[in-house]
Amino acid sequence: MIKLEKAHIEEMRGIRKLDIDFDKKTFAISGPNGSGKSGVIDSIEFGLTGQIGRLTGRGTGGLTIAEHGPHVDKTRFPDASFVELHVFLTGLGKSVKITRKINAAKRPVIEPADDDVLAVLAEVADHPEIALSRREILRFILVEPTKRSEEIQAILKLEEIGLIRNALNTTQNNLQRAQRTAEVTVETSGGSLKTHLQIAAFTAADVLEAVNQRRKLLGLTEIAELTADTNLAVGLSASATATAFNKQSALRDLKALSDAAEGFSDIGKATAMAIVTDLEKLERDPGLLDALQRRAFIEKGLELVDGPDCPLCDTPWADEQHLSDHLRAKLEKSEEARKLQDGLLENGAVLMREIIRVDGLVTPIQKMSESEAETAFAQLLDGWKTDLSDLRSKLASVDGLTGLKARLEGDWLNVPAGLGASLTAFTAKVEAKPDQTATMEAQTFLSTGQARHHDYRVAQTKQRDAKKAADAAKAAYSAYCEVMDGELNALYEAVQDNFSKFYRAINSDDESSFTAKLTPSEGKLDFGVNFYDRGLFPPGAFHSEGHQDGMGVCLYLALMKRLFGDSFEFAMLDDVVMSVDTDHRREFCNLLKTEFPNTQFVITTHDRLWAEQMKSARLITAKTSLAFHSWSIDTGPLVESNEDIWDDIADQLGKGKVESAALSLRRHLEYVSRVLADELGATPPFHSDGNYELGELLQSVLARLRYLYGKAAESANSWGNNQLRDEIVARRDAFSRAAAASNVEQWAVNRAVHYNEWARFGKRDFEPVVAAFKDLLDCFRCAKCGWLHVTPKGLQPESLRCGCNDLNFNLTVKGR
Amino acid sequence: MPTIQQQIVEKFLAKLSESEKVDPGKIEKLRATLAATKKPKADDFVKIFTESDGGNLK
Repeated sequence: MIKLEKAHIEEMRGIRKLDIDFDKKTFAISGPNGSGKSGVIDSIEFGLTGQIGRLTGRGTGGLTIAEHGPHVDKTRFPDASFVELHVFLTGLGKSVKITRKINAAKRPVIEPADDDVLAVLAEVADHPEIALSRREILRFILVEPTKRSEEIQAILKLEEIGLIRNALNTTQNNLQRAQRTAEVTVETSGGSLKTHLQIAAFTAADVLEAVNQRRKLLGLTEIAELTADTNLAVGLSASATATAFNKQSALRDLKALSDAAEGFSDIGKATAMAIVTDLEKLERDPGLLDALQRRAFIEKGLELVDGPDCPLCDTPWADEQHLSDHLRAKLEKSEEARKLQDGLLENGAVLMREIIRVDGLVTPIQKMSESEAETAFAQLLDGWKTDLSDLRSKLASVDGLTGLKARLEGDWLNVPAGLGASLTAFTAKVEAKPDQTATMEAQTFLSTGQARHHDYRVAQTKQRDAKKAADAAKAAYSAYCEVMDGELNALYEAVQDNFSKFYRAINSDDESSFTAKLTPSEGKLDFGVNFYDRGLFPPGAFHSEGHQDGMGVCLYLALMKRLFGDSFEFAMLDDVVMSVDTDHRREFCNLLKTEFPNTQFVITTHDRLWAEQMKSARLITAKTSLAFHSWSIDTGPLVESNEDIWDDIADQLGKGKVESAALSLRRHLEYVSRVLADELGATPPFHSDGNYELGELLQSVLARLRYLYGKAAESANSWGNNQLRDEIVARRDAFSRAAAASNVEQWAVNRAVHYNEWARFGKRDFEPVVAAFKDLLDCFRCAKCGWLHVTPKGLQPESLRCGCNDLNFNLTVKGR
Repeated sequence: MPTIQQQIVEKFLAKLSESEKVDPGKIEKLRATLAATKKPKADDFVKIFTESDGGNLK
């Protein structure tokens, strides 16, 4: 995908101004804690993605890129904080410059802004997981299985997959609920039709027999076939069709309602009480109620998130991801509330369907009483229908349900007082009506039958549509889950195999048969690792912290390999192997070289030994590494191997900052002493922890160069090369003078005194100190290329030389 | 290289096209919705499954 060529970082995080030439190669940045290493990682991440992982995610509330991305002295001038990256797009073979400012994080300037370039960089910007910190490793190694699933899904950006699944599941549930409601409507309208036709089942034969009997009596053509479009009253005059009252049918409708009314007090009682129980639970636990109310609110908010500003309160966030994570974390806390919510809505839907059934019985009576001018009864029923309609809408939401407790505890249908008496009176009135003539009875039978047949057919159509929609949603949800499970299982299988392979490579000495198992299940991801063939255990059970660090990096690499395939060309590892021991780090270098030969890693470490190991393993070189010796708020990271160190020190002295200058000088001496001890094969007293004081290290280096110059002079003399011998002796003498001069000044860079004494130093006091050490270090350098070194390395080298061969002194004395 | 998300969506739509329960028109609408947003809402899907030949449920 990409490789990093170089970076210019200005006023970002702890950095004032820094240029790094990455040269598309794996690169290491070392330095003590707080020296600015992670600031480089943050800046590159920002340049590539517009995000800074350390300022987002869990535990970073209150942090934003806008406020905390710039150097602390530039927070009011975000325009001054920017990153300029030169990136090589491997797939396109193009070099691109990305300039991204803090105050325009989402609007980088890209040159050239070709469409193909923009497409690749948009893809990169979508992958903040290219940066890995130790904190993130621990997030997916030492977490609960439920959290691990989320963490790994987060690093692979799989949340979207879960969001789609959830949306499809909600769709499926909503449409199944709608289908059940439609079924009840069919059942109700069908019942009304059957009651009218006096048939037991809705079969074409029974319907046509009832209908044709009346049609025959009226002299109308009999209907031969019953279809969805059949008009049972076809042939009736308009006036006959308009007359809807059919005495016998009316009496049957009245009886149906009367019969049903006897059981109204028991309808849905158990369901209503289940809702009441849930509502009481909410009353007892205000926190649960709060979570429930917030849940609906937050769910809505999450749906509406579209940018870094909260859609609920307009609070600006660092970015959209940060805001979404925040809302999602709140939702996680209300899992119990979610279960309660599901139960309430499901039971509410059951009662809604009961209301549809009751309404189906009431509606024909209400219409009949209206047409028969029974105004009071019509109004009573109309008022009840309105009340039930209002109740139905309240049953559809948690908010609505929370206000229904009192009603659901009693007669939740709220059957009007006097319904029974009114029904009886109205029935008596209908019964008292003179019987209709056979013709009138047949006409009204057909017109009423047609009206109900139409309602039934419409309900059936809606039910079929609802079923089709529900079936489609169910098929979609099932298909999605099946595909998702298959893909994720394949992903985890590939990841676990590579993870085991990488971990074995690092720990071949003691865990050569290591295996691991990632087991996904509903909402969980169990992670078992083999411990010396004793079985699979959680990573934190028996393995040491160092091994766990190793596991974290291996799991990350396995995930990246699966995620990017051959396009995994760039990653930043921020102090991620700090607990891994020396031998295993060497194997880690080999792993990166062999398994990821085309990936450019930017690796930071606070451990100097690890940085040097990377060099000796040839993962990096002196050119592809950088060491920070310290950091100050004014200067940002101070680079150890900085060629301009003397100019920097002079600048600091020019500003009267003697303390900074002295610290820079000491750090530089520490750095150079380590380099020279290695390059010249010095023999300082051994320290098992690898920590050497400047004094003993510098003395051993001075002694070593003195010895080497002596050996070189002896060699030149033995070969009869007097000119060379004299040249070497002259160098040795100059070196001795410089060493003596610096020895006088060494107290000034003594760690024990510097904080107190430097405060009293002036520029002129310290300039001779700097000059003495500069002269001394120049004795170890070739003026053209850099530090001297011996070849081969070891106690008995054959030559003392520089990289360009301008200086090359034979150390072998001619045999006699 | 397609992301895992894209792979899942493509395979999902391909699998769905084998189902008699979902007609091709709806599958294309699903494809368009999933291409347009990474965070589709249930309402978006309800609309797809219920519109035209699916009725107009609320």
